[in-house]
Amino acid sequence: MVAVLEKDEMLTIAEKAVHVAVARGASEAEAYVYEGQASNVGIELGQVNKTNQIIDRGVGVRVVVNKAMGFAYTNIVSDLNAIEDIVVRALSAAKASKPDADWKGFAQKKPYVSVLDGTFDSKVLEIGSDELVNISQVMIDSASQVDKNVLVAEGGIGNAYISNAVVNSNGVYGFDKGTVIECSLATLAKYGDKVTPVCFEFNAARNYKIDPTWVGSEAARLSVSTLKTKPIKTKTTKLVLSQFALQDLLGYTLLNAIKADSVQRGQSPFKGKIGEKVVSENLTIYDDGSYSGGMRTWLFDGEGVPHQKTLIIDKGVLKNFLYDNYAAKKEGKESTGNASRAGYLSTPNIDITNFHIMPGTSSADDMIRQVDDGLLVYYLQGAHSSNPVSGEFSVVATPVWKIKNGEIVFASRDVMLAGNIFEVLKNVQIVGNNERQVGGLIAPWIMVEDVRVIGK
Amino acid sequence: MQQVLLKIIEAATQKHGAYYAEARAQKLHKTMFTLKEERVEAAKQGIENGVALRVLVNGAWGFASVGSFEDDILLTAVSNACIMAKTASQRLKNPIKLVAAKTVTDHVEVKSKKNPADIAMEDKIKDIFQINKTIQQYDKRIKSCTVDYLDLTGSSFFVNSEGTNIQQDKMFVWSRITASVESYGVFTFSREEVGSTLGYEVFDAQPPQEIGEAVAKRAVAQLSAKSLKGGKAPVVLGPNVVGVFVHEAFGHLAEADLALSGGILFNAMGKKIGSDLVTFYDDGTIPGAFGSFKYDDEGVPTQKTLLIKDGVVAGLMHNRETAYKFNIQPTGNARAEDFRVEPIIRMRNTYMAPRDHKFEELLEGVKSGYFFKSFRGGQANIDGTFQVGIQEGYEIVNGEIGASVRDASISGNTLETLLKVDAVGKDFAINSGRCGKGQIAFIGDGGPHIRLSEVVVGGSA
Repeated sequence: MVAVLEKDEMLTIAEKAVHVAVARGASEAEAYVYEGQASNVGIELGQVNKTNQIIDRGVGVRVVVNKAMGFAYTNIVSDLNAIEDIVVRALSAAKASKPDADWKGFAQKKPYVSVLDGTFDSKVLEIGSDELVNISQVMIDSASQVDKNVLVAEGGIGNAYISNAVVNSNGVYGFDKGTVIECSLATLAKYGDKVTPVCFEFNAARNYKIDPTWVGSEAARLSVSTLKTKPIKTKTTKLVLSQFALQDLLGYTLLNAIKADSVQRGQSPFKGKIGEKVVSENLTIYDDGSYSGGMRTWLFDGEGVPHQKTLIIDKGVLKNFLYDNYAAKKEGKESTGNASRAGYLSTPNIDITNFHIMPGTSSADDMIRQVDDGLLVYYLQGAHSSNPVSGEFSVVATPVWKIKNGEIVFASRDVMLAGNIFEVLKNVQIVGNNERQVGGLIAPWIMVEDVRVIGK
Repeated sequence: MQQVLLKIIEAATQKHGAYYAEARAQKLHKTMFTLKEERVEAAKQGIENGVALRVLVNGAWGFASVGSFEDDILLTAVSNACIMAKTASQRLKNPIKLVAAKTVTDHVEVKSKKNPADIAMEDKIKDIFQINKTIQQYDKRIKSCTVDYLDLTGSSFFVNSEGTNIQQDKMFVWSRITASVESYGVFTFSREEVGSTLGYEVFDAQPPQEIGEAVAKRAVAQLSAKSLKGGKAPVVLGPNVVGVFVHEAFGHLAEADLALSGGILFNAMGKKIGSDLVTFYDDGTIPGAFGSFKYDDEGVPTQKTLLIKDGVVAGLMHNRETAYKFNIQPTGNARAEDFRVEPIIRMRNTYMAPRDHKFEELLEGVKSGYFFKSFRGGQANIDGTFQVGIQEGYEIVNGEIGASVRDASISGNTLETLLKVDAVGKDFAINSGRCGKGQIAFIGDGGPHIRLSEVVVGGSA
């Protein structure tokens, strides 16, 4: 890695941009400075054969002129002229835009709660390329040891340093830094000319706690278990949904329905339903941007609003929506700290932080034991083709495992699942205790009833 | 610019032991905005300048991406990339090798009647607002419409240690339009994408009002559509669905990197996998198409690549690394989204070749089935399973188009499905879209109307 921008340097760039914007006629201004440095070692076809190092930094400036918003960004931050230049561009963009009567100003200053465990670990940054190569080899070897028919398709490991600073003309002034480490492996099994679907596992953490041996052997175990498959009959059945499946099914539907902008624009079936029971009483869900060690845990969001823990669904009853500053002020409310940014390149959008489905008491084995007839679902294809507003989905699950009388009896592939996710969430029978984080979702396995399965 | 890049490459090969080195620089400018109903969410401009360095040392790749054109920073980055590649090469059993490629010196200029860089942002916002206005005025049950606009202009520079030196000017115009409708608790949704490498004149060919009307009409029509029962059925697919089927269900399998990773087309050259009516191309040469360009991001000229001819596998899509493994010429499919990432094998404009049926003839043979006109998302697994979601579909009853159906999808095994193509139309259309494979690529896909004698149709009724 090259020398990172220090806290003072990041804040100085942001302050400078805000200062120039206001001096040149912006009624308000906000600057977001981002730096990401990552090193990765890649695995292809069973061997380590590629590496990369990415240094990406930049600044994005939002300015308001006559209630019209302009935004400009650049990835050149070493040069103060470049910063002046993008402020000018942001101002000209604002002038080309249209006034927004609902605009009520940038976020106000609020204190940050700085007791965040485990979001920065200097050990993650000390990992050298030798060690990255070794960890990759551990994953490959662990997968190969499971079965000689296992092929490693791809995978890798990377460590990263991320920092950001937000300054606005209302006095918001924040800096935060963090680390991330992630390793993953995709494997398949090949027996004669029979190829299994690709199975994937990963570990990701903010501190140096990953288990490459488990990642390699678990991906391989899943692949091998799908070598022999049988077709499944079309019927309405029970499903045990893994975190991968939940992430896909909820990502394009439920997560859209709880965003305040979707609600305000009539794109959410939850509009007007605060206080009503909308899903099974077995579900309690928080969005928790301050969750200890969470992959999306930071001091503040993309507008400098403190991250917080927001109760979304309490025993099936809808309690809150997710807000950024704009959507909150439109309703005279406070932002929930859910303004998300794609680094310096984008303006904020409402998004989940760590979306936490609270665990129950059943272990994975218990859950399967309680299924007389159903399927265990891991990976889905096509969830992004769900109707984002109504929640209707029609997706392919491959592979899946058939559960009969409390035991997994065989694997199957090309099974189609169809239904409406909001109806499915009313039929949650069991919530497991095996929670883990996948993307923004922290959840256990969940057992649901009455899903239409279309087999062969 | 090229002088700096040459200096970096020379350091890699002369000082740091690289067998091959390339430098790819970009100077890009983006204009973007998002319109939500009557509101401009933010008018945006961006500058993205940087260099991607790639080196091959002892048979392993090293890659570095830096947002700077300064000599000393780039020299440090290339030295680090060489060191990391050397470390990664320690346990290499099969060193990476590249197929030979002709060296090229060229400057590709963009020729456009309406270069988006010359049009004021204010005018772009005014033009694109016509889409929102049309959608909102179409029907009072329309609850929301979101229109994203992007144009990208600038230059990329490619220099490698073999003597290739290319400057390629870039110009993309893209827009995505979505609308949602609600009536008595029924929610429907409709989307469309527009994309071109011709220039801003894409909105002369597809006027904003027409785009808006098409999106609004579909979303409203879906209100009275019914959910369908799942099961096997004969289907007629429109060019919009055929395109995404060719791209998702077959195209990804024909990317040589995925074929090598255990994909089903690994050893399929010359094998008959589809009906006689199936001929597919991946073509980077179609003027103005969203997936067209002259040189790929390894400096290899693009081409029209035959993938399947009359049902027989005829080729795969390659970069220089996979072309070496298959002992053939590279096809010019190495593409990188920007300077932050390595080039990987990507599709360009992927389509099915037309044959000789009229649309009515495709319907004639179907007693009870579906006509799927427009897609909403699609995905595939390298074991050959695919899923394509449908946003506009109709029943076919006794050869006639009937009532519309909602939220359907088709799925199955690609190879089984290609054998079930039993009639192919004589019309042809290409759609613009974006494909995600870790990176986003601008692509085109398309074909004629076709008929499948049978496919699994998903529905929730």
